[in-house]
Amino acid sequence: MKLSVIGISHRTAPVEAREKYALTGDLSLQFLRAAHLENAFEEAMILDTCNRTELYFAETGREDCMENFLAHVRKLKGLDEDVDRSLFYRHDGPAAVEHLFSVAAALDSQIVGEHQILGQLKDAYRLASEERTARFLLNKLMHRAFRVGKRARNETQLGRGSVSVASAAVDLASQIFSDMSDKAVLLVGAGQTAETAAKGLISAGVRRVIVANRTLARAEELIDRLAGMQRDDSDDDRPVRCPGLLRHSDRSETDASGSGRQGPNARAIGLDGIAGVIDQVDMVICSTGSEEPVLTVQELGPRLSHRGRLLCIVDIAVPRDVDPRLGESPNVFLHNLNDLDSVVQRNIARRRQEIPRAKAIVQFEAEKFANWYDSLQAASTITLLGKRFELLREAEIQRYGGKFSDSDADQLRRFTESLCKKILHRPISFLRDLSRDAPVSDQLLAVDTIRKMYELDELDEDLESDE
Amino acid sequence: MDMLISILNWLLPLGYLALAIDYGATFILRNRTHVRNPGVMAAIAFHVLFLALWSVRFKGLPLVSNYEILSVVALSSAIVYWAIELVTRDRRAGVFVFMLIFLMQYTSSNWLSVMIAGAGDSISHVQYGWGRLHVLPAVIAYTAMAMAAIYATLYLIGRRNLKHHNFGLLFDRLPPLDLLGRMSFQSLLVGFAFMTATMITGGALFHRSVEAATPMDPKLLAKIIIGSGAWIICAVDVFGKYALKWSISTVARIALAGFAIIAALFVTSAALS
Repeated sequence: MKLSVIGISHRTAPVEAREKYALTGDLSLQFLRAAHLENAFEEAMILDTCNRTELYFAETGREDCMENFLAHVRKLKGLDEDVDRSLFYRHDGPAAVEHLFSVAAALDSQIVGEHQILGQLKDAYRLASEERTARFLLNKLMHRAFRVGKRARNETQLGRGSVSVASAAVDLASQIFSDMSDKAVLLVGAGQTAETAAKGLISAGVRRVIVANRTLARAEELIDRLAGMQRDDSDDDRPVRCPGLLRHSDRSETDASGSGRQGPNARAIGLDGIAGVIDQVDMVICSTGSEEPVLTVQELGPRLSHRGRLLCIVDIAVPRDVDPRLGESPNVFLHNLNDLDSVVQRNIARRRQEIPRAKAIVQFEAEKFANWYDSLQAASTITLLGKRFELLREAEIQRYGGKFSDSDADQLRRFTESLCKKILHRPISFLRDLSRDAPVSDQLLAVDTIRKMYELDELDEDLESDE
Repeated sequence: MDMLISILNWLLPLGYLALAIDYGATFILRNRTHVRNPGVMAAIAFHVLFLALWSVRFKGLPLVSNYEILSVVALSSAIVYWAIELVTRDRRAGVFVFMLIFLMQYTSSNWLSVMIAGAGDSISHVQYGWGRLHVLPAVIAYTAMAMAAIYATLYLIGRRNLKHHNFGLLFDRLPPLDLLGRMSFQSLLVGFAFMTATMITGGALFHRSVEAATPMDPKLLAKIIIGSGAWIICAVDVFGKYALKWSISTVARIALAGFAIIAALFVTSAALS
């Protein structure tokens, strides 16, 4: 099989090395265009993510593919020193196919089962298609890879369960509340972690958010960012169901209490306003940088001990923001980083258990692809084409042979043989010439077309089953 | 007809076992957690057919022997669960419900097969006419209380696990806590409504029944005590939830304890009779 992959990934190189050779942004496009001009590869596609940079290509038969690729990388990245070859790997033929399918199934990812890789593969394929460096072989291969990725996700639990702290917080909340759309969440702290957790909750359906922060301006900035949240911004593990939480046009001016701007779905308050809103919320996510607890027993204990509704508090901060004694209240569920880590580790272990099943899918599909590729060899196709016409010829002789006398039957047989040979001469010569001179893509496309035209795959299966 | 009834009598527990296995797969594998199961409706339809044929064969409603009533309880449990699943669209608790239904129907089918085998035209159900219809709301009421107890148990287990930071086998396999609490309380409400109907119809028809002519039968007295006790438990829980704003935990504990007491009284009454 004239298919190969050359690349660098988290398995072979640390991040400092990977970022040196990453073909981010426009560089992938420049590589494809340069390679296309030089006719360096028959077909080519660059996959560049934070964990890998890989070139998938169909060879021209040149021996210097690796050197060619590394030379381009060095030139595009403006590197003075030679590229460290030991960090790069190469797979050829069926091994390359299996590698790609493993990547698509997220088996080769740093976090097994992560969801982003399939989208990244689709982006890479789209770019190669637009630049016309992906043709017959890569088209077939990539569509098969997407199918493998989907199968791995749908038929195993490889992608299930949260593997990040923020999404584990959402998971914990989901164990308590079935419907998030009528729930309100209080974010204490306006940092990155709070934002990530909030995005996860909004993706899960939460529509009311209160942000409490020492600095009101920062709280309002976080609200603005959440309001502008797009589909792609949500946490990896959670599909976004609603593009945004807030509407800027609905936000009113400072309210009478002076606690900050408020709108129908979100508002910002100072830390001293927490006690006043705790009864209105169902979830609290705490992640300030405070050295002392922000939610204390003195302030909130009496309210929470008599609370009728369930309250989920997730304390992501170190040191903790929430006095642990608040978790003793009957309807309060208090979780900290230990709990989130337990959930994450449990899910990672579950995903690892699914690896053999996902690998079995990858191997099955890789073998199937290799079989399909082998079937596109011109020699076997020519043989099957001859067999197809032979069967047609015999069927027609049987059908009409009875109308001829015995002496004419022999002439009929020779006539039909000669006719079939002449009909087949052009397509067989065409296939032989193609396999000698034409690019791989054109060869494979032609063979595939002829096989479909004369249903040669079905004939092949029938012959095998007869044997 | 006996052959058909026999076949259905054994198909029913197998059907419920198949459902229990299917829901068990959902529970273990954590897939299809929100997909409706058409098998439940099919099982209910078969069960209704079975009881209808039984009624025709034995010329009376299947509410005489305890094992007939057990089969009716199994059916009503399936109906109540189906209604809950329709509303909540969550099937993660189904394995527990259908395991119980399977056990009830299996027990019932075992004894009913004896009845079929020994049946001839000489067997007849004592006819009480419309008087027996008050047993139907009672069956539904006790079924609903049983469902309330099942969901209350799952709620309390889930709550305990979360409170104690226990993320073991049951974590993310059970429905969310608020849903379990709602299912439990809604089942309790159904039980309360039907137990109220039972007491009203029982009281209204009492003077027309055969027993009215005799001194208070201990069996009848036991039924009245158990029924009244069940009604009181439901009433206390409903009043506590709405008027006193009890938490779901409190309501769940009372529902579970109440059902345990009712079940114990039933068993004691059956043993003493």
